[in-house]
Amino acid sequence: MIRYPSFLIIFVILFVAISLYQIKHFISKKEIELARITNDINDARSDLNILKAELSYLKRPDRLENIALNKLRLREILPTDIWNLKDLADVTDSINNGDLK
Amino acid sequence: MKIFDFFDIDLTNFNHSKSRKIKLLVCSLIFVISFTTIGYRTITLASVKKDNLSKTVNKKIETRTFKENLRGNIYDRNNNILATTINTLSLNINPQEVLNKKETIAKLILIFPNLNSEKLLKKLNSNKKHINLLREISPKDYIRLLQIGIEGLKIQKSTKRIYPNNSLASHILGGTDIDGKGIAGIEKKFDSQLQEGESINLSIHSGIQHITKKLLSDQITRFEAEGGAGIVMNAKNGQVYSIVSLPDYNANNYNKTLSKKLFNKATKGIYELGSTLKLITAAIAFESKLINENEVFDVSKPLRVSSRIISDFHPLGYAINIPEVIVHSSNIGSAKIAEKFGPSIQLKYLRSLGLMNILSLEIPELGKPQVIMDKKVLSTMTISYGHGISITPMHLSSATATIVNNGIKVNPTLLLDKTSIENLKIISRETSMKMKSIMRLVVSNKYGTAKKAEVAGYLIGGKTGTAEKINPNGGYFKKKNIVAFTGAFPMNDPQFIITIMIDNPKGQRFSHGYRTAGWVAAPVVKRLVTRIAPILGVKPQLESSSKFSKNLLNYKIRGKNKGANL
Repeated sequence: MIRYPSFLIIFVILFVAISLYQIKHFISKKEIELARITNDINDARSDLNILKAELSYLKRPDRLENIALNKLRLREILPTDIWNLKDLADVTDSINNGDLK
Repeated sequence: MKIFDFFDIDLTNFNHSKSRKIKLLVCSLIFVISFTTIGYRTITLASVKKDNLSKTVNKKIETRTFKENLRGNIYDRNNNILATTINTLSLNINPQEVLNKKETIAKLILIFPNLNSEKLLKKLNSNKKHINLLREISPKDYIRLLQIGIEGLKIQKSTKRIYPNNSLASHILGGTDIDGKGIAGIEKKFDSQLQEGESINLSIHSGIQHITKKLLSDQITRFEAEGGAGIVMNAKNGQVYSIVSLPDYNANNYNKTLSKKLFNKATKGIYELGSTLKLITAAIAFESKLINENEVFDVSKPLRVSSRIISDFHPLGYAINIPEVIVHSSNIGSAKIAEKFGPSIQLKYLRSLGLMNILSLEIPELGKPQVIMDKKVLSTMTISYGHGISITPMHLSSATATIVNNGIKVNPTLLLDKTSIENLKIISRETSMKMKSIMRLVVSNKYGTAKKAEVAGYLIGGKTGTAEKINPNGGYFKKKNIVAFTGAFPMNDPQFIITIMIDNPKGQRFSHGYRTAGWVAAPVVKRLVTRIAPILGVKPQLESSSKFSKNLLNYKIRGKNKGANL
């Protein structure tokens, strides 16, 4: 005659066995998924690096300099091209005071 | 021992059947609790929190993937890629699986016309099971290979380190070997982090690096020099914006480059940088307080010490003070100043300025300074004007930064997120102010040796240095010079340090035969500051403004200019 505790033990053992099988199956699936995701991420990251490298190649300072000087006909900024308001006020004051002509 | 003995129950006092029941009940309880716990955990893991588990697993996958597969990138301070790794495909073949060798060769040559049919046939006739045909094929060729269908071919994924800017900052970046392991520069220093997929952000500014390289390279060509080095560094936190060493190389071809080009002149090469060291002599003189600021030194006659005669390139017939010694670049004056404070104080300050130790810069290619330490009067005198002390241009940059940064030690760094402020006071604020004032005069005064570095508005200051090049076989080359300039701008509140060194320039017709620092290095500084100041956000200012006069002292410089720039 099988008693109640024995039922419980058999039930728990069966449940654990089935669960373990499920986990193993689940992990196997995850491992496949992991391999795929690893590959995908790796490829995507490599593609991203290629795009970044291409952008960096196009933004090369020597190339930009060449475009600025020869295509856009820009020239370098000289100190006389930049004035800050404080200096302008100082100069105006100096001229007004007769220190500068 | 019986199995239930561990309950330690005195069986003599109990009925046997009753005690057995108790034991069974306890065991059952233990089993039930254990299995219930395991069961509950199993259910939790298997079903209840399946989604959460999946997220955790995915997170781990992502981290692991990023860290395991591709080497990390190296970026400049504006997030431009300087080095990255991409996947490539390599073409391999198993000759044992090839059925029709001639047809296979014909098909391969159709796609890769550079392949040699005879060599291919030789490879296909070998007994090997794996032969590499091409280390790298394009995705286009890969698709064509798949379309054409060749038996025995094996396409393998591999990675390749690429440097999109070619030679830009190549000495800093270094290189990797065929297995992707860092073997020089940042690649070597941060190999473990890069191997783990971590990216490195450098303090290098690609634009400024390019400008420094171009202007230095132009001047090297103009003066038919052997090479040179250029440094732009933040004067307050030591972040390096550019380090150029010429000749340089394409970082993509590191393993094929001659070792002469791989040599980093800015951080590894040690040179006697001549009169630039007079800045340190003057700073020591002010700081030691052994010399009165108004004290004058007679420089009218050459100075004989032991067997050596110390003379000036530009003799002056009277006694001059410290600012005049620096502005006129008088070797005699400098030697006499050094004689006053002596070798112990000189070596103490050279050590505290970092001129006797290897720098803590984040690359392995670092040079160790060589200083004559015999404490003889002659050595103290010659060191005072830069002879008998060999340092790297980077050492000079670092010392200049410390002098103009109110005397607070500045350690150069190549990392964006690291600032090297250690608040170590080497010289006082007063000495620093005096030095900044004198450095400005070297460029702005009509008797200054670096007049050709002057750019109106940017208030450049510094010191030139011309020294005979050391002969590796002993002594000096009489007709080979090392010329240098070290300085900062704007001098009323120095933001950036510039150091230029050019190796063995030749006198030119346009320079009237001169090949001194004033003619060779100073003009590079002028052009460099003009171009980089707007990028760095340094605004031009009037020398007459109150901000300027408040921060600098006005020394009077006497003397007559004979035309040469020492």
